Amino acid sequence: MDTDMGSNSPSVPSERPGTDPRGLWFCLSVLGLVILAGLSLRFGLRPTGWDQILAALTDYDRMNPDQIVIRAIRLPRLAGAILAGASLGVAGALMQGMTRNPLADPGLFGVNAGAALGVVVCIMFLGQTDPASFIWVALGGALVASLLVFLLGGGGQANPARLVLAGAAVSALFLALSRTALIVSHQALEVYRFWVLGGFNGVDFATINTLLPFFAVGFVIAIFAAITLNALMLGEDTARSLGVRVGSAQLVIGLAIVILCGATVAMAGPIAFVGLIVPHLARWRAGPDMRWMMLYSASFGAILMISADLAGRLPLFGGNMQAGVMSAMIGGPALIWLVRRNGVSKL
Amino acid sequence: MILRLSFVSLQISRRALIVSAVLSLLMLSLLMLSVSMGYYPLSLTRIIAAIGDHASEVEQMIVMDHRLPRILSAVGAGAAFGLAGAMFQTMLRNPLASPDVIGFNAGAAFGALAAIVMTGANILPGALIGGLLTAAAVTALAWHNGLHPYRLILVGIGASLTLVAGADLLMSRLDSMTASEMAKWLIGTLNSRDWGDVRLIWGGLALMLPLCLWLQFPLSRLAMDDDISTSLGLALSPLRLTITTTGVALVALAVSVAGPLPFVAFVSGPIARRIVGGGKPALLASAMIGALVTLLADTLARSVPIVQLPAGVFTALIGAPVLMWLLLVQFRKGTL
Repeated sequence: MDTDMGSNSPSVPSERPGTDPRGLWFCLSVLGLVILAGLSLRFGLRPTGWDQILAALTDYDRMNPDQIVIRAIRLPRLAGAILAGASLGVAGALMQGMTRNPLADPGLFGVNAGAALGVVVCIMFLGQTDPASFIWVALGGALVASLLVFLLGGGGQANPARLVLAGAAVSALFLALSRTALIVSHQALEVYRFWVLGGFNGVDFATINTLLPFFAVGFVIAIFAAITLNALMLGEDTARSLGVRVGSAQLVIGLAIVILCGATVAMAGPIAFVGLIVPHLARWRAGPDMRWMMLYSASFGAILMISADLAGRLPLFGGNMQAGVMSAMIGGPALIWLVRRNGVSKL
Repeated sequence: MILRLSFVSLQISRRALIVSAVLSLLMLSLLMLSVSMGYYPLSLTRIIAAIGDHASEVEQMIVMDHRLPRILSAVGAGAAFGLAGAMFQTMLRNPLASPDVIGFNAGAAFGALAAIVMTGANILPGALIGGLLTAAAVTALAWHNGLHPYRLILVGIGASLTLVAGADLLMSRLDSMTASEMAKWLIGTLNSRDWGDVRLIWGGLALMLPLCLWLQFPLSRLAMDDDISTSLGLALSPLRLTITTTGVALVALAVSVAGPLPFVAFVSGPIARRIVGGGKPALLASAMIGALVTLLADTLARSVPIVQLPAGVFTALIGAPVLMWLLLVQFRKGTL
């Protein structure tokens, strides 16, 4: 992906992070994340000062309108963006590592289409229209769709190409079912066409607390999966000879992907692109080692998501553009640029 | 079997002959079924009488003004989708690479919505301009020392995702009546087609068919890898540009008649390849499958009472399970 690929190879001793450029770059990316987080707390329809942010975080005054905006609206929104970005980035890295397919995207696992169908069904048959009530149906739909993809994709002895194809087929079927439902039910269309934009406008701490265990489980699995993936990246036969149980490893990794993406869709709606593009950006600094890939994908994903959320607040976009739309607007051209810049073989 | 005319000889496999015979039979029976069924069922003799101008005015109107144009539009549009799908899949060597991969459908949807938002009408010109512009932009952006399949797919995905987000955004800006109208158009429908549509799609097909038949020969060699194809004397980039242009033109025709029907282009190629066998591109068989699927979907859509469902709902409901079945079979045989 870049010219100093050689120095990023696994032969660099990663036990000494002080001398490893990957450690330095990771610290820099975390610093960038913190700065962006600060900006995200500060800017919006109601501009607030840095002193108010500091006060809201340390010494919350429940009567001060600025601090209420920060604590009740911007902080959960920021937390949601960080969680969503990090999980989509990590899930994308897991999926691309597992399938050894640079185009693999969590959306391809049927997660987004399944969640969308869940939401549509929920509106049609349960009469729910409040996005907060979509969490469990979205998660359920995502689970059903990805289970179907996994079974069609060959279950335990999943073949990467087969998984991607099965994912595309299941996604298309679920999408068609939701579209049919949307044509029949006007009410469903009215709610769906706003939900599908994806964003963090309505995210509150209650939602985040409900979903936090899912994110936590997903991240923990991802950390352990990274070690297995390093072996899996060498090819399934080599991995097997290194003592990896390929089938069960893929099952566990698949589960982590579904949990991370399902929780994200439940919280913020379908957000395209982050899972596809972030691993490519992460590989640029992390090299092939999956442990670093996880860290970088999490921080780059969060950075991208906060930036998308922030960019949507610019007056240029009417002050409140959904982060899902913004990330696609940033991500599409970024992918095209990456493809043109690096040539095909590198992607 | 080798067919020899004075100076050309054409190798035709027995299997291909049988397959085309069976497909033609299927098509014929589906055509008859489709013309005869509806709110006003007609027997075969009444239909022939109506076409031959010997039936009552009502029957003639039903057959000539309503059913036939709609059915012929469905067949033509399906064939165009099937042809385009097979061409793209063979050229890009990827069963997933139907024309919507290079962004045509997303561009068409965005164009149609943009036209509705800005002018309040002009869905069709908007869709065509959007689709063609997107395809041209994707091809141009993917061009770098020639047209490489993988790069075309990647750039196409990038463009599609952006345009889909844009289309979602435009959908949320519409009022609720227009939104529900657009939801129907966006999935593709054949309601109330007239003879103008029939002339458009069949005229276009007649113009493109010779080119497609000629393209079949280089396409079968293009299915091999780049080095082998080049050493067989193919000029890859001009050929790929020709195929892309032809495919996009076919899709544009089909979309302008039937809207962006999902799945037809996607499933026709793989099914055709499977039943024809021999690893050949099977463009004609793919066109016939596309026509069959579309006609079947539209007939099913017509048979649902009360709600007027668009045909696209059924192409998707037929297409997706077929694709899954295909995946299972192919995987089991280890050909994928």
